[in-house]
Amino acid sequence: MASRLIKIAHGAEAILFKTMFLGYDVVAKIREEKPYRHPVYDRSFRLRRTITEAKVVSQLKMLGLNVPALFFIDLSNYMLVMEYINGSKLSDIIQSLSEDYVEELASKLGSQAAIMHKNKIYHGDFTLANIIISEGEPYIIDFGLSGYSTDIEEYAIDIHLLMRSIEALAPEKAEVFMTSFWRGYCNILGKEFCRSIKERVSEIRLRGRYIEESLRRKIRHERYM
Amino acid sequence: MKTIILGIESTSHTFGIGVAAFTDSKPAILANIISRYVPEKGGIHPREASQHHITEAPKVLKKALETAGISINDVDGIAVALGPGLGPCLRVGATLARFLASYYDKPLIPVNHAVAHIEIGKMLFNLSDPLVVYVSGGNTMIVIQKKKRYRVLGETLDVAIGNLIDTFVREIGLAPPYIIGGKHVLDVCAEWGSNFIELPYTVKGNDLSFSGLLTAALRIAKNISKDNRNAIGDLCLSFRETAYNMLVEVSERALALTHKKSVLLVGGVAASKYLDRKFKIMTSIHNASYYVVPPEYAGDNGAMIAWTGLLLYLHKRFIEPINAIVKQKWRLDEVVLPWLPD
Repeated sequence: MASRLIKIAHGAEAILFKTMFLGYDVVAKIREEKPYRHPVYDRSFRLRRTITEAKVVSQLKMLGLNVPALFFIDLSNYMLVMEYINGSKLSDIIQSLSEDYVEELASKLGSQAAIMHKNKIYHGDFTLANIIISEGEPYIIDFGLSGYSTDIEEYAIDIHLLMRSIEALAPEKAEVFMTSFWRGYCNILGKEFCRSIKERVSEIRLRGRYIEESLRRKIRHERYM
Repeated sequence: MKTIILGIESTSHTFGIGVAAFTDSKPAILANIISRYVPEKGGIHPREASQHHITEAPKVLKKALETAGISINDVDGIAVALGPGLGPCLRVGATLARFLASYYDKPLIPVNHAVAHIEIGKMLFNLSDPLVVYVSGGNTMIVIQKKKRYRVLGETLDVAIGNLIDTFVREIGLAPPYIIGGKHVLDVCAEWGSNFIELPYTVKGNDLSFSGLLTAALRIAKNISKDNRNAIGDLCLSFRETAYNMLVEVSERALALTHKKSVLLVGGVAASKYLDRKFKIMTSIHNASYYVVPPEYAGDNGAMIAWTGLLLYLHKRFIEPINAIVKQKWRLDEVVLPWLPD
């Protein structure tokens, strides 16, 4: 069926191989066994996540989102075969991008995330490492932790994770990035929905161990000082 | 040239004093004395713990100086953990530090407790840029260094892992005491079990949430009779497995994201050998070297405060005693550390 397999990445959850399938460049994503997990857990995890990813990624593709097309599913090997997106991970290139380009990408990403959330899908691991920039367009990948929910908490967590990721990897670009992201996001979802998500995101940030510096000052000054 | 710093730890249940020295740029821990408050029932009562610290402080100080073979006059600076932690406990350390600094006219060095947990680990294993997993009663976070600060890559959104485990064993009637013969009662209880029950597993990117796991486990425990050791054992085993797997998974995600070459496990929960085993396997899959801080420096202690104080002393980060105010919610990522790379 396939030509030579070239290992391209060894992620946290899966090994990725690049190969050819029906004449297309594809990625075979195999969720490997984790020897640190109890085998019963391990199998149910790998199965559930493979199924979820297949479901979500194909639905998002049909909605016209920038996600890899799904070609083939092999549940007995916990394997998905998907379109190969030729580009770079945003986490690898963010440092070298110009401010204008970051703005443009973040706004486009905001629209993509909005469409995903509008369809009641959350990503669950929405970090810069799961965004590939290909020919100037952001592609969202890796839907292993995604799911369906009508709870805005899940959408807000996606955005919280994104913020956290940019703050850790490129703190100096975080503000520009998030401002543009929100612009793209709110354009699609409308002001009102957007406001409730923003509120939830700040609430989630407060829940982390020992709240942020600026928020701490603002909210808890009297109580703790 | 020899620089000697005394460090005071009193953020939570432990009152500790350590002495760290730098002789011709060689680090050494000269003393590390602790006295731990053990509650008779329930969890840590901040006021009771602070009472314990007040009673123990002079004895611990004396013993630390004796062990180090120095007098207080030989000390170059007084370091103290001003946060994060429990207010009444923190104030004991702060008061002692303010007194020692003003009476003996020594520079006072404020230390962030979380930074100290990391720095002692880096010093012990001579690491420059590890992925740090910080697990304790009050903290669960994945940390990397970037632009002169430690940045939090992932953390718990609700309960800390040590608190989670202690709360669970306490609520099901197995604790206190939490540690019996060097073993946590959760590990004792897990040995009674053999079957796995599926419990809520909540990982959000690099963040985790333990509250669902705790609620579900306690609900199941309610329906188990106290004499049914096997059933309680199954629950303990599954609870531990779930909590640790979540932690290892987020660490693995952070490792795959950052491509760090080493992983450093720090904090009180680092003493768990089951967690240790899981981390060993996970890091070997990713060809990362793995280090775990030994128990005497993993739990709260004064040596780590002294060592971090020493680093700060060399960069002249002093404050006036009058400004040594405790900060219960002093976040790790607020602190700018001159020795970290840009």
